[in-house]
Amino acid sequence: MENPTNSLEWMIFLTEKYLKMFLQGTWLTLYIAVLGTLLGFVLGYIIGIIQDMKVGEGDLFIKKGLVFLLKAIASIYVEIFRDTPMIVQAMIIYYGIRQAGVDLTPVVAGVLVTVLNTGAYMAETVRGGIGSIDQGQREGAWAMGMSPMMTMFYIVLPQAFKNIIPEMGNTFLTNLKMTSVLNVIAVQELFMAAKTVGGNYYKYFESYLVIAVIYFVLCFLFNKLFGLMEAKLKGETDYALAVEYMDNQ
Amino acid sequence: MAEKIISIKDLSKSFGKHEVLRKIDIDIEKGEIICIVGSSGSGKSTLLRCINKLEKQTTGKILFHDKEIRDIQRDINEYRSRVGMVFQSFNLYNHMTVLQNCMLCPRKVLKVSKEEAFDRAITHLKQVGMAPYINAKPAQLSGGQKQRVAIARSLCMNPEVLLFDEPTSALDPEMVGEVLEVMKELATTGLTMIIVTHEMAFARDVSTRTIFMDRGYVAEDDSPAKLFTDPKNPRTREFLSRYLAG
Ligand SMILES: Nc1ncnc2c1ncn2[C@@H]1O[C@H](COP(=O)(O)OP(=O)(O)O)[C@@H](O)[C@H]1O
Ligand SMILES: [Mg+2]
Repeated sequence: MENPTNSLEWMIFLTEKYLKMFLQGTWLTLYIAVLGTLLGFVLGYIIGIIQDMKVGEGDLFIKKGLVFLLKAIASIYVEIFRDTPMIVQAMIIYYGIRQAGVDLTPVVAGVLVTVLNTGAYMAETVRGGIGSIDQGQREGAWAMGMSPMMTMFYIVLPQAFKNIIPEMGNTFLTNLKMTSVLNVIAVQELFMAAKTVGGNYYKYFESYLVIAVIYFVLCFLFNKLFGLMEAKLKGETDYALAVEYMDNQ
Repeated sequence: MAEKIISIKDLSKSFGKHEVLRKIDIDIEKGEIICIVGSSGSGKSTLLRCINKLEKQTTGKILFHDKEIRDIQRDINEYRSRVGMVFQSFNLYNHMTVLQNCMLCPRKVLKVSKEEAFDRAITHLKQVGMAPYINAKPAQLSGGQKQRVAIARSLCMNPEVLLFDEPTSALDPEMVGEVLEVMKELATTGLTMIIVTHEMAFARDVSTRTIFMDRGYVAEDDSPAKLFTDPKNPRTREFLSRYLAG
C-alpha cells in the first residue's frame, strides 16, 4: 500500500510495514498470557488448597502452627494482589527486583506479575470450587480410609476443576488483555508495538485499531475453543450396560 | 462365646453444651446384626459416627478388638478401612463410574493390584445386582441403585464391620425393598452389621439384637423378639406403637 489516504488504508499500510513488530507483539502477548496463566493456575490451586486446610483437635502443636502460618501467608498474599492494580504491581515488582540487584528482563517480570495476579484470583475461585463439593462425598471417602489429602486429590479437586473450567477460561482471556499494561515496564507486547508504530507516523488511532482487531480475534477464537473443550469435557450422557454381567439379574 | 469386636464403654458425646450421647454401653460380637431404632435426634447417627471416628467422643471408650480407638491416630485410615460405613445420602463419588467408585479405595488405601480390585468390584457388584451398571455414573442411577453400589463399594474393602446410617430413608418407597433385600442377604454372610433404621419389620426379622435409643441413652437393648413384643421401657412401647400403628 502506497500513500494511504483514509484510516482503513493507513491500517493496512502500518500492518504491512510493521508486520514483524505486530507479530512479535502478538507472540509475546500470547507467551506471557499462556505461561502466566498456567503457572498462575498452579499457584492458585496451591493457595486454594492451603486456605481449605483444617486442623483437628488431636493434631500436633507443630502442625497447627504450620497450618496457621501457611494460611496467614496465603490470605495476606491474596488480599494484597486483589486489592492493588496490576499496573502498579508490575512497576513495583520490576523496579523492586532490579533495585535489589537482580537483573530481571521485562518479559520475565511480566510473566511473574501475571502469575502472581492470576494466583490470587484463582485461589478464590479454587476455594469456591472446593466448597461446592458436598461434605458427604468427603465423608464417604474418609469412611473408606482415605486421608484428607487423598480425598482432596482423588475426590474433591477433579470435580472442583471441572466446575471452574469456565472461570479458568475467563481468567485466561482477562490475562490476554491485561498483558497490555506490561508496556509500562517496557515489555514489547502488542500494546507497546502499537504505541511505537503509531508514534512513527503520528497515526495512533489507526495503529491501536490494528491491535484492537488482533486482541479481538485472539479472544474470540480462544473463547470458541474453550466452549468446545467444555462441551467435550461434559462428556457422554449415556452409558452402555455391561451385558457380560447381565445373567442372573 | 463369640469373639468381641466392638465394645463401647460409658460413652458420652456433647456438641458444646448439648449432650447428644449419654453413658452408652454396648458390646458387639462378631457376626451380630444390630439394629438401632429411635426417634430422630436421639443420637443414632452420632453413635455410628463416633464408631467410625468421624466424630470424637467427649468421654468414655470405644474398643475395637480391645484396642481403644481414641489412641488410633497414625492408623486411622487403616482402622476406617476395616469399619465400613453406608450413608443415608449414598455419598458416591459423582465424577467416577460405578466401577471406579468400587476400585478406588482398595487400590489407593489397601494398595491391592488392579486385577484384585477389579475382581472384588465385580464380585460385590454382582452380589448387589449392579454389575451390569459398571459404566454408569451415579447421576444416572436411581436411589436404590446408588445405595446398592454404595454397599458394594464398602464391601470391596473387606470390612469386619459395616455401619449403616438409615440406608433406606432417602429412597422412594418402591426402592426400599431392593436395598433391604441386599442387606438381608448380607446378614447371612457372617459380616458384623450395625444398622440404624426406621424399618421396624426389617429390624424385627433380621437383627440378632435391637437397640432402642432415646434422648442419647440406650433405653433398651434386647433380642428383637422381646423388644418388639414385650418392651420393658414405657418409652420403647410408646415409640413402637407410633411406628407399628402407622
Ligand atoms: N455436628 C453437630 N453439631 C451440633 N449438634 C449436632 C451435630 N450433629 C448432631 N447434632 C445434634 O445431635 C443430636 C443427635 O443427632 P443425630 O445423632 O443425628 O440423631 P439421629 O441420627 O438419631 O437422628 C441432634 O439434636 C442434632 O441436632
Ligand atoms: Mg441420623
